[in-house]
Amino acid sequence: MSSQTETLFRALSDSVVGMDEDRTRQLSIQAVNQGIDALTAIEHGLVEGMNRAGKLFETEEYFIPELLLCSDAMYAGLDILRPHLKHEENQIRHKIVIGVVEGDTHDIGKNLVKIMLEASGFDIVDLGRDIPPQRFVDEAVKAQASVIALSTLMTTTMDGMAEVIQLLHKANVRERFKVIVGGGPISQSFANRIGADGYAAGAPAAVKLVKQLIGVAA
Amino acid sequence: MSRDRLTPVERFAAYHRGEPVDRLPCVPIVGNTAARVLGVKVSQFRGNGWLIADAQVAAYRRFGYDVIRIFTDLYTQAEAMGAKVHYPEDETAYLAAPAITAADEIASLQPADPHKDGNLPHHLEAMERAFQAVGKEVPVTGALTGPFTTASFLIGTENLVRLTLKNPAAVHQLCEVAYQGALVYAGAILDTGCTPSLTDAMCSTTVISPRQFKEFGQPYLKRLVDFIHGRGRSVTLHICGKTAPILEAMADTGADCLSIDNAADLEAAKVKVGHHVRLMGNVPPSEIMLQGTPAQVREAVRACVRKAYNNPKGLIVASGCSLPVETPFANIDAMLDAVREIGWPVDADELETELAA
Repeated sequence: MSSQTETLFRALSDSVVGMDEDRTRQLSIQAVNQGIDALTAIEHGLVEGMNRAGKLFETEEYFIPELLLCSDAMYAGLDILRPHLKHEENQIRHKIVIGVVEGDTHDIGKNLVKIMLEASGFDIVDLGRDIPPQRFVDEAVKAQASVIALSTLMTTTMDGMAEVIQLLHKANVRERFKVIVGGGPISQSFANRIGADGYAAGAPAAVKLVKQLIGVAA
Repeated sequence: MSRDRLTPVERFAAYHRGEPVDRLPCVPIVGNTAARVLGVKVSQFRGNGWLIADAQVAAYRRFGYDVIRIFTDLYTQAEAMGAKVHYPEDETAYLAAPAITAADEIASLQPADPHKDGNLPHHLEAMERAFQAVGKEVPVTGALTGPFTTASFLIGTENLVRLTLKNPAAVHQLCEVAYQGALVYAGAILDTGCTPSLTDAMCSTTVISPRQFKEFGQPYLKRLVDFIHGRGRSVTLHICGKTAPILEAMADTGADCLSIDNAADLEAAKVKVGHHVRLMGNVPPSEIMLQGTPAQVREAVRACVRKAYNNPKGLIVASGCSLPVETPFANIDAMLDAVREIGWPVDADELETELAA
């Protein structure tokens, strides 16, 4: 990798961490114009920047507003670089179906998890919020997902998480998916009780959990 | 109330003066769980102030705790200013859609008229009725949502937090109109005889940074606290989620009592701000109060007391946040019983001994 290319990747990463959407877009266009491999620019530039932002979030130097603006910058760059990915590079990714359980419309936590998983190379099917249990099952089967990620902030909707797992059993597809849960009222003991495969307390932790559950390198 | 020697009003008065009491004050923060005490559906509270009052008074009589808080959800003020709220048949309401979606619409918002708009008149009616019924023996408070949190319901949380970095002036404009609404509502709450009880959920560092809290949360809270103090009442401020880095800033609002979530630590709070404010907290509402056993509730209460019984400005044993609707009555009883068992003065050695055993 030439030092000029490395400088560009560093600049891309910095512009994501610096929450600079316009600059990320310009640098991504520059990468395309210079014929730099799109996948490498995404991984060493945009994703590297988003991972740095995730670390700053974990150490409480960044908070939700900063993380969201970093992700805006990352997505602006992705919009430009993704069309230049080679076909096969788009194929091999694990799919994750994610959503907020029915009865709740708090979705910031879910969105942060989605952003960090997307930055880590997973393909996300975002169902949105207020999602009935059966839809998680249907969409996961349809998408041939590896993971189902359930989020809630309200205790009233926690039963909905258990119901998703029961429905998976009923449809005889439980073993096809890893089910992870998270959100304010959720704990590891709750995850154990309802038979989920994992619990994570925050977005960066959710990425580690997913990688561990489906056995891909961190 | 034969279980306790003092009424809550007597207990607080003696506790303030440093005189002997029968036990520490204890507040399992009962919201819509009150519906279960009367055997009504949560949705029946909508537009029915009398029922809210009767359920809250019945819950107080059933459990014998120390503060009644007239509260159904955090959205009441935002709803009265145009936000759309969804009311499930028998669960706590949630936000369906914010009032506006972009910063250029902020100018169209007006502070709510508490005697006319949304469900505010019904909540005021509930406060008045509950205060008339039992206000002489137990403090009755009215939930007042903080301006930053109401702002998040008016424009959507993700929108708002992006604007804190991209367009701070718009956030101030929005917080100001939410503040004006809160100020008028606070006055109306005081007129019922109740004391406003402040909650600013979105101000926690789970959501925004300490710097953002100081810029967008604290100044508006301070103005509300000053107003309530001007009417001769003391104020409790509750912020859900993580608050360790903003405890001093919360105390700087002038609030007399800080109610903290189980995501914050009572001992750390005691060290940081205990000389200035009373502390209230923080038995986990979901993991312990909803899903735990009475024995686990007792353990959690003892852990709270061990950490902060000697807080210079005092401790109110409480849940870390409003209780989930389906919290078992046995767990609420267990919370009060644990506090009664500890009694007063608190025997720290006994609490430690059991811990070691």
